[in-house]
Amino acid sequence: MSGTAFCFDLDGTLTSTEILPCIAAELGIAGEIATLTRLTMDGHVPFEDSMRLRTLILGQVPLVRVHEIIEAVPLSAELQSFVRDNADRCFVVTGNLDVWIAPMVARLGCRAFSSSAVVTPGGVQLHSILAKDDAVRLLRRQGGYERIVAVGDGANDVPMLREADIGVAYGGVHAPAPQTIAVADIVVNDASSLCKLLKAL
Amino acid sequence: MQALEGAVIACAGLGSRLGMGMPKCMIEIDGVTLLSRLIHALQPLVPRIQVVVGYREELIIDHCARHHRDVVLVRNPDYRTTNTAHSIRMGSVGMQSRVLYLDGDLIIEPSSLAAFVEAAATVPLLVGVTRAKSTQAVFVSTADGADGSVDQVSAFHRDPVTAWEWANIFAGPPDLLVPGTRYVYECIEPLLPAAARALELFEVDTPEDLALAQAGINGFARSE
Repeated sequence: MSGTAFCFDLDGTLTSTEILPCIAAELGIAGEIATLTRLTMDGHVPFEDSMRLRTLILGQVPLVRVHEIIEAVPLSAELQSFVRDNADRCFVVTGNLDVWIAPMVARLGCRAFSSSAVVTPGGVQLHSILAKDDAVRLLRRQGGYERIVAVGDGANDVPMLREADIGVAYGGVHAPAPQTIAVADIVVNDASSLCKLLKAL
Repeated sequence: MQALEGAVIACAGLGSRLGMGMPKCMIEIDGVTLLSRLIHALQPLVPRIQVVVGYREELIIDHCARHHRDVVLVRNPDYRTTNTAHSIRMGSVGMQSRVLYLDGDLIIEPSSLAAFVEAAATVPLLVGVTRAKSTQAVFVSTADGADGSVDQVSAFHRDPVTAWEWANIFAGPPDLLVPGTRYVYECIEPLLPAAARALELFEVDTPEDLALAQAGINGFARSE
């Protein structure tokens, strides 16, 4: 196999729905969080501000319940199978929280770069927010890969796509943000076409 | 020889000679874009289709997001300063063996495209030619087979005028597309003579070509 590593955004790329609105449903504010998530993915709200706010609100939901909800979030079957087959060179790169997405990363069977949080009796407290380009840089320095391919859809994926050797704007779940397309080398709208392409890279 | 790995359609150029303010592949004839016509004809023939976009890429990206979701779009943001050879080399990302290359401004009779792809599976390089008719033709010197069909190309030239012209479609390896060449046929020239096959097609470079193609499409429909 070639020495190519693959970095995948999680929400709306590997998952066929955004995760945080699913958690928000628990508090009866799915619509509100979905709106904030959309504004964030489209680049109208800085990701860091949005993630801080969403963590503050959704951190009230007990972690056990969050894990149950995340277990039920559907993954793209084709992408999941690609990740499982290439687990040693696939990486989830997400602004989502490590403590929340752990069960999903386990389902995917690969490694992950994510934002981090600590669980306290009062709820989840944000510790650090991932800059997605840092993940690519770290892989480049330490991974020994010849080439890094990054796949994402949102405005917060722009630094990751720019830093990667090949940036793919993926519109399989919803249309990629215009600024994500603007830094991408390739635009793909279909999971099966994406997998065929990734296998060839 | 194996079947082709995929097709790369060049749609990045300005199409300035036609002057319609949009990529030529987005021109509609009878309500169907030239690009949709090509994709529909290619889908049963090759496993992967990659479209190179540049000039007004948003029109093509949106069109494919709506109508051709399984097509891969390769961006060439430097389309103003690069040529078609560069574009289609970029468009071959992830393709290693042999690929069908064609311009997005072609209107091809589907059964002649199918026969071309089938023939391409048997030779390392297959050059497409068509009856000379476009306003700015690159003519070809050909060797004809026993039944009068073209089966070899030995030269490309602006003159002398011959009965056949370069059809802006060929099947071959991506590494044939060397950087720095202006025209795609110049990348093929060092490999001549090469196997060739005639296609029934129209290329849309000028308003006259478009008028000819519009009339020609009715001819395709009748022959089907």
